[in-house]
Amino acid sequence: MTSAPANCETVAELLPEYAEGGLHPAGPVEVHLASCVRCQTELGRYRDLLGFLNDLCEIEVEVPEGYLEDVLRTARVGVLRARIPSIQDVREVPVRVVSAIRTHGAGVRYALATIGGAAAGATALAIVWWSIGRRAVTGTAA
Amino acid sequence: MVSPELIAECRRGDRRAFEELVRLTHRRVYSLAYRLVRDRSEAEDVAQEAYLRMFRGLGAFREEARFETWMYRVVANCAMSALRRRGRFGEIVTDEVADRPVPETPEHRAVQRDELTRALDSLSPGQRVVVVLKDVYGLSCQEIGEELDIEEGAVKVRLHRARKRLVELLTDHDERAGEL
Repeated sequence: MTSAPANCETVAELLPEYAEGGLHPAGPVEVHLASCVRCQTELGRYRDLLGFLNDLCEIEVEVPEGYLEDVLRTARVGVLRARIPSIQDVREVPVRVVSAIRTHGAGVRYALATIGGAAAGATALAIVWWSIGRRAVTGTAA
Repeated sequence: MVSPELIAECRRGDRRAFEELVRLTHRRVYSLAYRLVRDRSEAEDVAQEAYLRMFRGLGAFREEARFETWMYRVVANCAMSALRRRGRFGEIVTDEVADRPVPETPEHRAVQRDELTRALDSLSPGQRVVVVLKDVYGLSCQEIGEELDIEEGAVKVRLHRARKRLVELLTDHDERAGEL
């Protein structure tokens, strides 16, 4: 199937993207460009435009006085905030524990049981020490 | 260029690393913010908000992505929020022109740059944001669509119209200059 020849109006609509290289060079467009000075000139303008715009990235706008100091102050606040867990983070802790148990199953349950057992043992020891200490005191008092 | 090592230190909460990051990027952040909102005071607010979001979001930043691209997206998002707020209060958005030309350095090709800046000013905010993000800062149409919360196709349409309008304006200027 052969494509219909392109005219200036059709090609002009394609030039903003063609200049970037985003469109594959279609036969009719290239054929037209090869013979149409007006469209070649227009394509040159779009390529110049894209070049100027690309150059703008390296050109910095003058910053207002005090701007850097203000932003550094913001940076220090940002660092502090980043270190403080948010309410959302705290709320997520139990969810994460349950998720870890589901994911890692036996290993996490064993670890939690070990920690829980150690905590219970320490508590029991503390109670025994306390009651021994109390008996010693009441025995002395009597 | 921000090194991956500096990013890693920032993610660990190193205050000095954050400050170094700010020193390296503050001009670029302000330049993009100003080019999008075209108001110096508002650009400062946008930059401040962008840095706060960057610090909060560094944990989610994917290291395989280019940091500068991510930074530009954060700034663009903050700028769009500012432009939407401005529009909500009924202030003139489409025809606003900067009070005075903001000096841009270095000075080479100054005339063309001034004309281009004036031409960008005359675009609608929607078109200007798209062409600045795409053709100045190199974001993809997909990335721009995600930040502006519009379809990629809509980004391409705005980009097409913006480029056509810019060429028209710059051509008119050259023709008028030639007549003098």
